[in-house]
Amino acid sequence: MSPWPLRAVTTHCLVGSVSLPSLMTPSSAACMSLSMEMPRKRKGSLDNQDTKSSSIPDADMEDDQNRSDGEDQNVKIKCFREPHSQIEKRRRDKMNNLIDELSAMIPTCNPMSRKLDKLTVLRMAVQHLKSLKGSASSFSEANYKPSFLPNEELKHLVLKAADGFLFVVGCDRGKIVFVSESITKILNYSRAELIGQSLFDYIHPKDMGKVKEQLSASELYPRERLIDAKTGLQVQADLPVGAERLCSGARRSFFCRMKYNKISIKVEEKEFQASTSKKKESQRYCTVHCTGYMRSWPTSHLEVDGDGEPDKQDSSYYSCLVAVGRIHSHSTPQVNGEVRVKPIEFITRFAMDGKFTFVDQRATTILGYLPQELLGTSCYEYFHQDDLPHLADRHRKVLRSKDKIETDCYKFRTKFGSFVTLQSQWFSFVNPWTKEVEYIVSTNTVISYDPSQTSRSEVKSELSSNSKTSEDDCNKSLQVILGISTTPGAMIYAGSIGTQIANELLDFNRMNSSSSSGSISPFSLPQDKCPQTHNQISNNVPNGGATDMEIPGKSSSEDEPQGAAFSGGESLMVENSQLDLDSVVGPGLSSLSNDEAAMAVIMSLLETDTNLGEAVDFEEMHWSS
Amino acid sequence: MTANKEKRRVISRDAARRRRQVESEVFVDLSRLLPFQQSVQDHLDKPSVIRLTLSYIRMHTLLKGKTGIKVEASHAVKCGQVMESGQEWRGCDRGRDDEEKKTDNVEASEETNMFLRILEGFLMVLSTEGDMIYLSDNVSKYMGLTQTELMGHNIFEYTHPCDHEEIRNNLRLTAEEVWCGAKRDFIMRIKGALTHRGRSSNLKSATWKVLHCQGRAKVCVAPSSVSCLLLTCQPLPLSHTLLSTHTFTSQHSMDMRFTYCDQRMTLLLGYSTEELLGRSIYDLCHILDTNCLTKNHLNLCFKSQSVSGQYRMLVRGGGYVWVESHSAVIPSVRPSKSRPGAHQPLCILCVTYVLSGVEEPSLQLSLDQAVHRYLR
Repeated sequence: MSPWPLRAVTTHCLVGSVSLPSLMTPSSAACMSLSMEMPRKRKGSLDNQDTKSSSIPDADMEDDQNRSDGEDQNVKIKCFREPHSQIEKRRRDKMNNLIDELSAMIPTCNPMSRKLDKLTVLRMAVQHLKSLKGSASSFSEANYKPSFLPNEELKHLVLKAADGFLFVVGCDRGKIVFVSESITKILNYSRAELIGQSLFDYIHPKDMGKVKEQLSASELYPRERLIDAKTGLQVQADLPVGAERLCSGARRSFFCRMKYNKISIKVEEKEFQASTSKKKESQRYCTVHCTGYMRSWPTSHLEVDGDGEPDKQDSSYYSCLVAVGRIHSHSTPQVNGEVRVKPIEFITRFAMDGKFTFVDQRATTILGYLPQELLGTSCYEYFHQDDLPHLADRHRKVLRSKDKIETDCYKFRTKFGSFVTLQSQWFSFVNPWTKEVEYIVSTNTVISYDPSQTSRSEVKSELSSNSKTSEDDCNKSLQVILGISTTPGAMIYAGSIGTQIANELLDFNRMNSSSSSGSISPFSLPQDKCPQTHNQISNNVPNGGATDMEIPGKSSSEDEPQGAAFSGGESLMVENSQLDLDSVVGPGLSSLSNDEAAMAVIMSLLETDTNLGEAVDFEEMHWSS
Repeated sequence: MTANKEKRRVISRDAARRRRQVESEVFVDLSRLLPFQQSVQDHLDKPSVIRLTLSYIRMHTLLKGKTGIKVEASHAVKCGQVMESGQEWRGCDRGRDDEEKKTDNVEASEETNMFLRILEGFLMVLSTEGDMIYLSDNVSKYMGLTQTELMGHNIFEYTHPCDHEEIRNNLRLTAEEVWCGAKRDFIMRIKGALTHRGRSSNLKSATWKVLHCQGRAKVCVAPSSVSCLLLTCQPLPLSHTLLSTHTFTSQHSMDMRFTYCDQRMTLLLGYSTEELLGRSIYDLCHILDTNCLTKNHLNLCFKSQSVSGQYRMLVRGGGYVWVESHSAVIPSVRPSKSRPGAHQPLCILCVTYVLSGVEEPSLQLSLDQAVHRYLR
């Protein structure tokens, strides 16, 4: 490997990064700070949590920056002299903080009412460590290098964090050569049950082809497909298919569904288990993400207890996949069999004009219509006439607001002619990049299947008679909603309400919008290192919400942040309001206004990233043994 | 008078010197007790010695105390092994001789190393305040900084400021979450001191690395209640190899509208490339997955790489498949060497793994599907 990268990196640090916003690289932050005092972050220091600037670790950085500034000697000395006492003070503070933390962790220090001096704390720490080490097994000081944690402990931690298991399968038959203990916790099979079995016995039938493909070396299978990070397009591998596919170190990554053993009540009796498995129960699967490497060993080194099967490939090598299987956090098998009961609801999507573009299948049991019967029709055709005004009003509101809009209870006509009472939450789903409204999402909850008697009779009369009076009433309310006048006899259909409202919005936007095109993103980062401003509203909002009439509730760090909803598990939209940059990523980000700066950010991330611009390097894939 | 003063000054100087000497000796004693090779111990400065001592004590407390996590305990019972929860962490040492334990230890170490190698990531134990109590020693391979340099420091010193809010949210643990070992899955940017070729450089020329962190909460109740997050951190790769027949790639503009997709998409989902150009991905997915997609999109916009969770893509004409996408923002044209600083248009590259077969093929959920069915 050539030595040039080191030099190149240094020059980059000094010269290249000065023009970029300081957020780009940590080094550029140092270079740009010149003679400013950089507050150093210390563990336990009071302003640690609040200020978000990255830390500059040591005095060397300041030296460099002074030298690189090319300032004259006097200024340099001045810079040194002033901060020097500060540096010392900080060092002392840091040390004191550390000592305090240490004394808090040591049991013998804790009960002391007065604060102990540094030396005593240190001595007690020595005693404490000696006592801890005493309980560890003696053999741990043997041959190999000391590791911070005992190996067993580390192994447990890793497996617990990763929710995964290690496995080795032979490529020709899929025989499970090895599997780690942790598989018991994940799929609920014991090691003994699995070793020697074929992996294919535990894979969903529809995924067998996929797994075979990943294990195989047959020439009939498609060549390796690579993605060139530079162009984003597929590149045909120049290597011939065959030996290279199985060459040691070739990486594999795939998903497959694996069986898991349901928890049986009585564990000891095998007969009981056997009988339960004979029942006609649908097998449960969970999705496992497998990543690993191909590896081949000379068979002379292995005890491959085979029945002398003819090998397709070189008979002296046994090829295996060595991989880790991980359960995705979203697909953990429901071992407790708990069923979450939600109130009766279904979700639909409308285009801006109120036409159904997506209907959740639960709607059928509630409304009687199949999704395809509703798709393409306007929601207004199903709303009860009395509810039209208030729903139209909500429709207008939702197109102009980022918030969730609640409707009152209203009646929705079912397939059978009756009405159900629903109550909905609507919000405009906005594309995170363009900030344009893509569609309206409606979460509909059933309030009652049986509206009161009086309304039923109204329904009957409406449906049975196409009398002029009811049409007139309908027309009148439509006129009120739309604010138009019609000549007598003209028919206004409910469906047109939605279109009218959508058009209103478009006209409004056309009048107000600036010349920004739809694909520009109103993103950027403010010039200072971290967004401190919370309530800035961007001025050039393209189409979707005109001017923000309601400032969405900004979450400060003390409030319950909606971002927490992402920590683990799927959450339905009912639990979140409009996914806003603020709620997901942090305050102040909706103040972004300049997309060029955003692009600069991303470009710098990519430019300085290690892999960009290089195609796959097969050498990196090899397993160094 | 001055002679006395002078004498006192000398005495106090000597006393100070002796104190410092004694202090240094204690520091050396402490460093010798840390589980590192001597060469490493000798090079630790005083704050580092304390920092690493703290980590050692904290990890010890975490591991040796009784865990008492509900899920673990109940599972242990169900598997027919009724064990004290604390024992799980000690690997059942009882009744084995040294030789056996030694082999087990070696095996455990090999297995862990293999695991981490395959995973292409490192282990991080984070306290609820964000202190990186423990990092597995292969962290240097991914971050360019060693275990000894990093352990004990606070993660907020090393991560991108704009990700701090999200990290804090993930560190926030309710009692319920802690007891059930709640899961965590998020993406953050961390300083990496590696050159293009993978060599370690130093923090001055650090660059941002995108890490995918997955793991769960852990608590230990005795002697004192300590909770933390156990995370595996994997840098997200920018290139993928050996995509199977059940994977397809697609390219999108920054607003997630399709600009290209490969022929596998047609085979798996039925859409032709022409049909998809200009369509937004939000139209093509199940409404219940909008959250998942939005989070993915936002990660891409801000962190440049993302792993979506599992979501449903609608199949042409009816039904849907479960998929997972690994995406990155890349320049949509070759970066020009002659004008390196020029702004380049960006696009999103997605590699999507299809996880399931077509479910409910006759069910049309979206207008799009209904139209296609009609046109067939």
